[in-house]
Amino acid sequence: MSYVEFQGISKQFGETLAVEDLDISIAQGEFFSLLGPSGCGKSTTLRMLAGFVTPTTGQIHVHGRDITRLPPEARDIGIVFQNYAIFPHMTVYDNIAFGLVERNMTKRDIRRKVEAALEQVGMSGYERRFERELSGGQKQRVALARVLVIEPEILLLDEPLSALDKKMREEMKFWIKEIQRSVGITTIYVTHDQSEALTMSDRIAVMEGGRVLQVGTPVEIYEYPASRFVAEFIGESNLLSGRVQEVTDGRCEIDLGPAAVPAQAPSGAPLSEGSEVALLIRPEMIRLHKVSEDEAPMLEGRIAEEVYQGSLRRYQVETAGQKLTVEVANRPDLPLRSAGEAVALYWNTESGVVVR
Amino acid sequence: MERHIPLPMLILAVLGFAFMLMPILVVVMAGLTAGEFLTFPPQGLSLRWVAAFLQSDKYLSSFFFSFRLAVMTMIVATILGTAAALFLSRTGMIGRGAMRAFFLSPVVLPGVVIGFALFAFFIATDMGISRTIWGLWIGHILYSTPYVIGTVGAALASYDTSLEEAARSLGASPWRAFRKVTLPNISQGIQAGSIFAFIVSFGQFEVSLFLSSPNSEPLPIAMYNSLRYQFEPSAAAAGIFAITLVTASVLLTNRLVNIRRLLERQQAGG
Ligand SMILES: Nc1ncnc2c1ncn2[C@@H]1O[C@H](COP(=O)(O)OP(=O)(O)OP(=O)(O)O)[C@@H](O)[C@H]1O
Ligand SMILES: [Mg+2]
Repeated sequence: MSYVEFQGISKQFGETLAVEDLDISIAQGEFFSLLGPSGCGKSTTLRMLAGFVTPTTGQIHVHGRDITRLPPEARDIGIVFQNYAIFPHMTVYDNIAFGLVERNMTKRDIRRKVEAALEQVGMSGYERRFERELSGGQKQRVALARVLVIEPEILLLDEPLSALDKKMREEMKFWIKEIQRSVGITTIYVTHDQSEALTMSDRIAVMEGGRVLQVGTPVEIYEYPASRFVAEFIGESNLLSGRVQEVTDGRCEIDLGPAAVPAQAPSGAPLSEGSEVALLIRPEMIRLHKVSEDEAPMLEGRIAEEVYQGSLRRYQVETAGQKLTVEVANRPDLPLRSAGEAVALYWNTESGVVVR
Repeated sequence: MERHIPLPMLILAVLGFAFMLMPILVVVMAGLTAGEFLTFPPQGLSLRWVAAFLQSDKYLSSFFFSFRLAVMTMIVATILGTAAALFLSRTGMIGRGAMRAFFLSPVVLPGVVIGFALFAFFIATDMGISRTIWGLWIGHILYSTPYVIGTVGAALASYDTSLEEAARSLGASPWRAFRKVTLPNISQGIQAGSIFAFIVSFGQFEVSLFLSSPNSEPLPIAMYNSLRYQFEPSAAAAGIFAITLVTASVLLTNRLVNIRRLLERQQAGG
């Protein structure tokens, strides 16, 4: 049963079609991410749900109720902005109390709730600070407390980590996810960072140019991308162009030019023989060996470049007229390869995914 | 770290300040003269013309007339100007650029034009306010509102609208969000605008020239009229009071703003 439902939502700003014919349904308690490059319409989608932007066409339902034309204050949806939007003329206490005051609660109840919220986000003792006296991470916590304290039906987060440094970002990623899980609140998270989306989400909608390209769990999105764009946007990818040669139940043969390799056929409409496709192989799925006669490799190639990256080594391998990226864990039992060396490339047939 | 200003720049800056302060210096010195006539440099120093100003019904009444007019103008110009600036910053209407230019046009439009236009309008429509404080009030509001639009517009340009959106989604109605979040954050611009409106109205000459009558004369008109007939230093003494009032109002508001900040800091500090 879907809790939040976008039905045929479009938004036009003058000439720009920011969001086009969007259909998404989100379950209660789900952590749902909108992922896509800058300008793809993520924020616009979020802002339509929050009530700051009115859709040009379509409806939004929450819990079966049509909220498309309700003003923001009537929606019971909390939002954390990219810049946190902490009220600079109020203390942390008054910021968090804001929504409670608007709900005409008694001073005692407000105090109790604000204190609990501060405790929840680990900011007890900061009641009397002002925004300018807080670090980025602290602002983030206050912004989240200010929203959670009113116990909204839905939590919206618009790139909440992008203003933080890398280390802080890693930390907050898990922290936000933990809070979300403990509160159990339906959450919609906007980001252009695929690793954030992959680690935090229950499901992800990948957007581009105002459209949703694919909706799925992180595993589905990463392992079975529905298009080249999704494959390239999520994680590192090798996309080899080829031609479908032979299709037998679940398996197919892709002709890459110098060689043909077996691959897993995609779900959905069956492949037609002779059609142009891409074969996706993630860099960590490829194993490098010495060229030998024992087992026929998928491809043979030559190391063009080697880059040391601490926990792993990354090789560029020239093969089938293209360059493949291969990542190998930096372990003593895995031999080093140097530029110019001839290598054999292996991967499991299931690791080669056909992308239309 | 100490900042070094290049010498030529420093000289230019000092010259600039001197140039700007010169008229004030001349007026103050001339008003403090011990002689019979308006001269510079003064012939000895005394407070006799200051005393003469304080005893002159004509000057004192026009001083207070100007003060009343400036306060009245300030109140209306602040409200109208703030509303107009908000409208201009929020509207997505086509032609808002043209509208902004139109609203700000009285700043570049000579006061003479506004004064004359209003005068002609009042006479032609026979409204009966052509030479009253009400007519003057309208003229001054027209003339000083753009200054408020300018300063409040600047404050709104640097105001982050997501603050207001945050307030709305936390449950505040549009009016409450404005009053509790937007207003406090643009109050500096509004205060600056209202000081401008006050000062501009207090010193206004051309608009007043068309719209005042002998029994409702703002100070600048009174000074001008008296100097046309007698070249006496009490006009300069009146100038001293005008300068003092304007300086005091600037310092006072400056102070008020800072005191508020100080209070905030103290609360924050615990
Ligand atoms: N208020 C607006 N007026 C006009 N155009 C807008 C407005 N808001 C967004 N757009 C346009 O709509 C498109 C989508 O914008 P949106 O802010 O939703 O993108 P986004 O995916 O959030 O991008 P980013 O990652 O950069 O935040 C962009 O082309 C943008 O220029
Ligand atoms: Mg955005």
